[in-house]
Amino acid sequence: MPVREVIQVLNSMVEDGVVETYAIGGAVAATFYLEPVATIDIDVFIGIQPKEGSVVLDPQPVFAYLAALGYRTEREYVRVGDWPVQFLAAGNALVVEALAEALTMTVAGVPARVFTAEHLAAICLQTGRAKDKSRLLQFIEGAALDANRFQDLVQKHGLTSQWKMFAHEFLEEGHDV
Amino acid sequence: MTFDLEKIIESKRAMRSRLAALPIEEKLRMLDLLRERTLAIQEASRESPKAGRPAPNA
Repeated sequence: MPVREVIQVLNSMVEDGVVETYAIGGAVAATFYLEPVATIDIDVFIGIQPKEGSVVLDPQPVFAYLAALGYRTEREYVRVGDWPVQFLAAGNALVVEALAEALTMTVAGVPARVFTAEHLAAICLQTGRAKDKSRLLQFIEGAALDANRFQDLVQKHGLTSQWKMFAHEFLEEGHDV
Repeated sequence: MTFDLEKIIESKRAMRSRLAALPIEEKLRMLDLLRERTLAIQEASRESPKAGRPAPNA
């Protein structure tokens, strides 16, 4: 299974100290909770520390490590087997929290860190593109969210107005997560 | 076979629930296949970019 190869590489990056942690996000993560969500790439959020004396995150060791394993870079992706993998730093408080609170799932005997359904849904709400709204609706219609936990994230990360607009636009009156 | 929209929507919802409940290994295998299909469609679109589009107004 090609996705499994990606997960094994991610785990080896943690074991070898290249990254502190990682978590799969985007459509591949959503597939853990929903029906398979078509995508052409895998989004991986990584936790890396800045070099000593610096506040700037340097992803170069990640790419050097993968290159040493024979994986090549294509534009903003690293190709691992069949899959282009996009490595992303946690760019805001919601994603930092999603990375810290990611769940460990088992895929064909291999552990994989994956964003929680509620964090994925909140990130969809925050990002707000058409495909994100569509995915958020899938989470809601599929009853894949813990309503209290999701609403906590909405409030904590200042997404209340986005949620009201989304609910007004897409949900029937009185419908909640 | 039915043309009853409510039944169609309900049937789609049920199918999505069935798919969501599959083991993750199976869903990831489907993801691999979906990706191959998406890339094949993209490739075909590049080869004939106007296919399926109405002709522009003169």
